[in-house]
Amino acid sequence: MGFNPRGSARRRNELVSREGGRVPNPPRSKFIKSLAISAVLLVLTVACSQGDRSTWNAAGPVADKQLLLFNVLVWIMAITFILVEGVLIYAAIRFRARPGQERPSQVHGNLPLEIAWTVIPTILIMGLGIWSVVALWQLDKPPASADYVLEVTATGHQWWFEFEYADAGGGKTITTANELRVPVDTPVQVWLESDDVIHSLWIPRLAGKVDMIPTHTNRLWFQADSNKIETLPATFLGQCAEFCGLSHALMKFEVTVMEQDDYDAWVEAYGQPSALSPQAQQGQNVFNANCSSCHTATGADAAALVDGRVAGFLAGGNIAPAPNLTDLATRQKFAAGLLDLNEDNLRSWLEKPDDIKPGNYMSARAPFYQDGEITLSDDDISAVIEYLISLK
Amino acid sequence: MATLTGVLARPSGYTGVWSWITTVDHKRIGILYGFTAFAMLLIAGVEAGVMRAQLATADSDLVSPGVFNQMFTMHATAMVFNVIMPLSASFFNLIVPLAIGARDVAFPRLNALSYWLFLFGTLLLHAGFLQNQAPDAGWFSYASLTEKPYSANAGMDFWALGLLVLGTSSVAAALNFTVTIINMRAPGMSLMRMPVFIWMTLITSILLILAFPVITVGLIELTMDRNFGTHFFMPAGGGDPLLWQHLFWVFGHPEVYILILPPMGVVSEVLPTFSRKPLFGYPFVVFSGITIGIMSWAVWSHHMFTVGLGPVANSVFTITTMLIAVPTGVKIFNWIGTMWGGAIEFKTSMLFAVGFVFLFIIGGLSGVSHAVAPADNQQQDTYYIVAHIHYVLFGGSIFGIFAGIYYWGPKFTGRLLGEGLGKLNFWLIFIGMNLTFFPMHFVGMNGMPRRVYTYPAESGFQLLNSLSSLGYIVLFIGFVVFIVNYLRSSKNGAEAGHDPWDAPGIEWSISSPPPAYNFAVIPEVLGRDHYWIVKEQAREAGQGTPPGEAHVDERTIHMPSPSYWPIVIAFGVTWIAGGLLTHYALSFAGGIIAFAGVVGWGNEPAAAESDH
Repeated sequence: MGFNPRGSARRRNELVSREGGRVPNPPRSKFIKSLAISAVLLVLTVACSQGDRSTWNAAGPVADKQLLLFNVLVWIMAITFILVEGVLIYAAIRFRARPGQERPSQVHGNLPLEIAWTVIPTILIMGLGIWSVVALWQLDKPPASADYVLEVTATGHQWWFEFEYADAGGGKTITTANELRVPVDTPVQVWLESDDVIHSLWIPRLAGKVDMIPTHTNRLWFQADSNKIETLPATFLGQCAEFCGLSHALMKFEVTVMEQDDYDAWVEAYGQPSALSPQAQQGQNVFNANCSSCHTATGADAAALVDGRVAGFLAGGNIAPAPNLTDLATRQKFAAGLLDLNEDNLRSWLEKPDDIKPGNYMSARAPFYQDGEITLSDDDISAVIEYLISLK
Repeated sequence: MATLTGVLARPSGYTGVWSWITTVDHKRIGILYGFTAFAMLLIAGVEAGVMRAQLATADSDLVSPGVFNQMFTMHATAMVFNVIMPLSASFFNLIVPLAIGARDVAFPRLNALSYWLFLFGTLLLHAGFLQNQAPDAGWFSYASLTEKPYSANAGMDFWALGLLVLGTSSVAAALNFTVTIINMRAPGMSLMRMPVFIWMTLITSILLILAFPVITVGLIELTMDRNFGTHFFMPAGGGDPLLWQHLFWVFGHPEVYILILPPMGVVSEVLPTFSRKPLFGYPFVVFSGITIGIMSWAVWSHHMFTVGLGPVANSVFTITTMLIAVPTGVKIFNWIGTMWGGAIEFKTSMLFAVGFVFLFIIGGLSGVSHAVAPADNQQQDTYYIVAHIHYVLFGGSIFGIFAGIYYWGPKFTGRLLGEGLGKLNFWLIFIGMNLTFFPMHFVGMNGMPRRVYTYPAESGFQLLNSLSSLGYIVLFIGFVVFIVNYLRSSKNGAEAGHDPWDAPGIEWSISSPPPAYNFAVIPEVLGRDHYWIVKEQAREAGQGTPPGEAHVDERTIHMPSPSYWPIVIAFGVTWIAGGLLTHYALSFAGGIIAFAGVVGWGNEPAAAESDH
């Protein structure tokens, strides 16, 4: 902490001379100093979260580098802050008008000073600029040394995320929603698209955000490092960062990081027909009659099908792009990361989706919703729920 | 001609409602701007209060997401276009002619037109609230969210058309002040003798003239998309939503400097006055302002680091954005240099000016941290950015404006604002501002996106958000104290006299409030700090403090006459826009009214016959 007793003695003497003999208590000033330092540390510990969505809690090379840059910036900001504000406060106190003071000397400027405080910051800031640009290029693409990069296309929708693996492994195509499953220690290249408004995909612990813009294909990459994760599978919160309309705040997803073997098993099992009870079979019939023009539940979505749903939406029909529900029961959450997947939650969601996600297109467009409430029979709803939780 | 002007007889008189409606006096127009903008400040402040109440607790359902989205959209839109810009315009109007030694602006009727367009544009922008169709796509209104399929109600039309009317007002005012400053300075006031506030007004005006046409193009295209089936920004028709972002931020970044340069000018007047020392490095403060104005055109894409422009563009904008910190730093160093070695008197105005410098440093530093594009990927669209913009625009612009109100207010009311309440006002707002906005740096980096109407309890955001909401209450009390101070001092305040601060500007050589004609005799400007020189000479000659200039008979001085036509034209223009929302026939009627106004204006002599 660099506490220098000699320096403090000198300061005490000054105080003595100025304040006419009153000597402040040295242990007290030491106490105040350590109190102040612990207060700052406490504030920083409380204020900088290590939570599941915190950028301070990086779990992979991209977020790590971004955090390193930010931490260096914090130090630069802190030092500049103390220096400049220190001079400002010193000037404000030291040069207060004293009673009866003459008009101070009328200085108009100082050329060497002006040159110094123009040139020195320029040089410092250019150094920072060059380092930023180097980092920017480094982070642009997954490392060329990687022998395998998993590629996923993420599409933003009002208000959920779609993930499409053209080749999830072994040539298999997968479409899923609101849950991105990736193997640990593997670079993941995400292609970002949108077919309605602008969204932004952000996984604070893994990578800073990049926008999902209609007619553009953007990219970001990330990797989850096993040495930064305690247990696998691990989940990381992802969320939409660009304001995208009524339920923007509720547009989330989860990244599930798995051991390679578990990931492979998931890919292998995806879309295999599920064993259905008689009630589930009834549910499947209800689903096919009412839900399947928007939701697919039996494997990856064909591109033409998706295009048709988008066109139908724009034409104002009772159709819209909707989450692929294949193997729904294997997911932790549904409704864009809002609800834990269980029967009760599925029922609340189906009965009054608008209470959970205001403005969602299901309750607005599906013909069996009137004023946001479902008109299917209880029997049918129970059957659909049974069907959905059989999908695994 | 005579018959037409005869329909609306030339107004006359200096009292009553009509005298305000027809006024072309820059001081009265400045007061109108000031009161209207302050009323809007209160409305925008209440909107902020709704947001802070909603976000004070996790999983709150105090307001619906629809209402919340309207609140943040209208809070920001109003603060930018209806509060800070017109408060600056109020200062331009009140101060520019006085500080350059002129009797009015170059085009007094155009000045009145600017105000009425501003008022009606503001009303049009907010008219959606009456039908629960307020704009709700954010003040940046990114396409394609603003297109018909995603914003079906008329909110975005109110927004686009309201801003078009406001833009007309701003460009007219900017042209007026540019011409006024270039042409109407008193003899002896060379450009490098102009007060820094006048310099910043000039730079701001030029930025306005150049920046508003860009947003105007965007707004017209958006209106066309929504109402006439074009596809400028609509992906399904082959349009590009990114085009809007470029148009918006090519306007938007100069706009940021439009919001901050005038308060920087105010601070550059207040600091020397209360330090009893000339501004340190005057040419450097002026040229850093010009440099900022020019560079503001080369940094817009730092608002777009996450839109995938690619590493080349992001590298360029990283560097240009960092460089703009240099002239900003130069300003700060010179302000501190001004205080250094001075005899500082901490009147409330000075407190706000020093508070401006203190807070603007914080906002400037976090600004550099966004310039680092890869780090910005984590900051963009989080509360970290919300913290930054409020340190710059609240800690900066609003503090600068308060410094100006306490400094120049007495010139126009003739009475000093109370210092005791003033200091309370300052400390409440200073503490409240930091309590509200400082925690946002942390909550943003902890992962809270901006523009969310709710957050779950497990996010851990609640503690910091409650602090922010608590800070809002302190800020609210601070504003109430200001209003009380204003009301009290306007009745019982101490007489200001013509020169309460022993200030250097020539506006302090005339009485408070100034007569309609400002200067009975246009002064011969002796130097940069003209009135200090005058007072120094008087002291040396043993004459003591010079009195304020004596009043003369108003009729002996040729002044522009009041006119009805500005408000008529503004009314017509607003209906051209408003008709698009209701019935096109109303647009047509608005066009006829505006045209009639232009004809009447064109045929009206600048001053009534009797005035000659």
